[in-house]
Amino acid sequence: MAQSPKKSKSRLWFLVHSWLALPIWFFVLIVCFTGMLAVVSQEIVWLANPDVRASKPDADATALSFQQVIDVMHKNRPELAINSMNQPDGSHFALNVGVTLPDGARTNYYVNPYTGVIQGKTPEFNFEAFTRALHGWWLVPFTNGYSWGWYLVSLLGLPMLASLVTGLVVYKKFWKGFFKPVRTGHGPRIFWGDLHRLAGVWSIWFVAVISITGIWFLIQAILADNHITISSQPIVPVIARDQVPQMPDGSATSRIGLDEAVRIAQEAIPGLDVSFITLPATAYSHISMDGRGWYPLMYQGASINPYTRAVDSQFLLSDRTALEFVTESMRPLHTGDFGGLPIKLIWFFFGLLLTLMVLSGLLIWTKRTAQATAAALKRSERPARVAATRAETTLEVQP
Amino acid sequence: MSRVQTVPHSPARQWWLKWRFHLNILLILVPLGFMPKYFADMRLFRGEDGLGQHVQADIPVGRWSVSLAEMRDEPPLADGPAGYFKTFNAALCATCDEGVKAIYLRVGKPRSLRAAGSILFGSQYRMATSLPIPQRTRPDALLWITIEGWDGNMYQASVPLADASPATAAWLAKQGDKR
Repeated sequence: MAQSPKKSKSRLWFLVHSWLALPIWFFVLIVCFTGMLAVVSQEIVWLANPDVRASKPDADATALSFQQVIDVMHKNRPELAINSMNQPDGSHFALNVGVTLPDGARTNYYVNPYTGVIQGKTPEFNFEAFTRALHGWWLVPFTNGYSWGWYLVSLLGLPMLASLVTGLVVYKKFWKGFFKPVRTGHGPRIFWGDLHRLAGVWSIWFVAVISITGIWFLIQAILADNHITISSQPIVPVIARDQVPQMPDGSATSRIGLDEAVRIAQEAIPGLDVSFITLPATAYSHISMDGRGWYPLMYQGASINPYTRAVDSQFLLSDRTALEFVTESMRPLHTGDFGGLPIKLIWFFFGLLLTLMVLSGLLIWTKRTAQATAAALKRSERPARVAATRAETTLEVQP
Repeated sequence: MSRVQTVPHSPARQWWLKWRFHLNILLILVPLGFMPKYFADMRLFRGEDGLGQHVQADIPVGRWSVSLAEMRDEPPLADGPAGYFKTFNAALCATCDEGVKAIYLRVGKPRSLRAAGSILFGSQYRMATSLPIPQRTRPDALLWITIEGWDGNMYQASVPLADASPATAAWLAKQGDKR
């Protein structure tokens, strides 16, 4: 870092920047690394497990409707109880169908959207869920309210935002740094320093997004644990008793099919792309459908009465408050899950850069410490132990 | 931070100065320690460990039979101003959901279908509900299962709460001390 005449203030900022992540560097590193993996965990599973892929049986096959898929599944496996259907973002993914088996176990089947054939089920070790749990709450269980691991991880948003601000303050004329080459051949200290700064200026927007959304996760937990809600989402009451027919012969009445429910939902909400369906969980429950609209960061939904065909409840973009537009956008902004594979790859790349920044920050610190130790040894004949201590102190004032 | 010192440090202090900023590596012990619990919980949520704890198997209700179990062997959990809740799971006997419209669970005998209690959500193989447990409930209270038939009739049976969830009964006994 170039020395400026106004040393004292920038030194102070530099010290703050240096010390922000240092005492917790390994924790920050792992959180960044697992976050980077979590962004593309679905794609990693897609690459590793053919069951997850939506392979076309032949070139001109067309996707089945939700009801057609259910019909094929019921024909092949009549004993299955189907709870939900989800089309992941991207037509290369198989449908995820949540089912309950006769022994009471629940699982998720990967179903081919062209044939309705069950290709496999979510394995015992669910890579996506595991990386997200490790990144999101350090595997600390949720017992009552948010887990303390969630607080531990989301608190990192604060030093990360502070790192960004202090980093920009100490990096003089950082806006000129976008095309500064990384110097090799001047030793690792210069190399890692250049890399840290170059990655830093290109990542300004990303670090801001990740830290601010991270702080939101902290606020979200605090709100929830204090039973404060800012949601305007209507609570869908169960279907009124008189709307569910009574059957004198004691046999179950029939409900409308899923395709009809999708049609009703799309008629009520033009542009709704239904990607998630929850089947009724009781005789008094709705068929609920969710999907994205024109604004890819938020979901819209509708609850269809399977007896009267009425849209009993809906929650659209236009129903959201301005505050909800901000708060509901936080999660997809953090995870990069709002624009398919291209956005995820951008998030993955900058997640990698961020991981490298933590690592390079640490390396700069240790290299500098080593150099300062050597210098201190040369300068004096004092015992090495004292020199080492001296070096630590020197570090504070000589960036 | 340490200031420059003129006396040599003890080896322990030296070790501390050198390694203190790497001690956070020990934080990795947190997820490592919780990993067995994480995988056990995943199994529990998937229902691979059976219906739950203290299973009350095949309770006859009308012409059907229902198995009931608490999700975890623990007292009710507070949910803010809403009070205390306890999660129960239930299953209908295999291949006998014919004619069952809904199943409800309630502490104390329901007087009518309209007050039958908490509806159980899910398929006949595995249903669940979060049952409110008022703090003033007597520890020897009965847990009532109500089946509503598609024909509109009501079928009932009960089990002692202390059998279905000993931890809840013990917790209620303690609440009694406070009253």
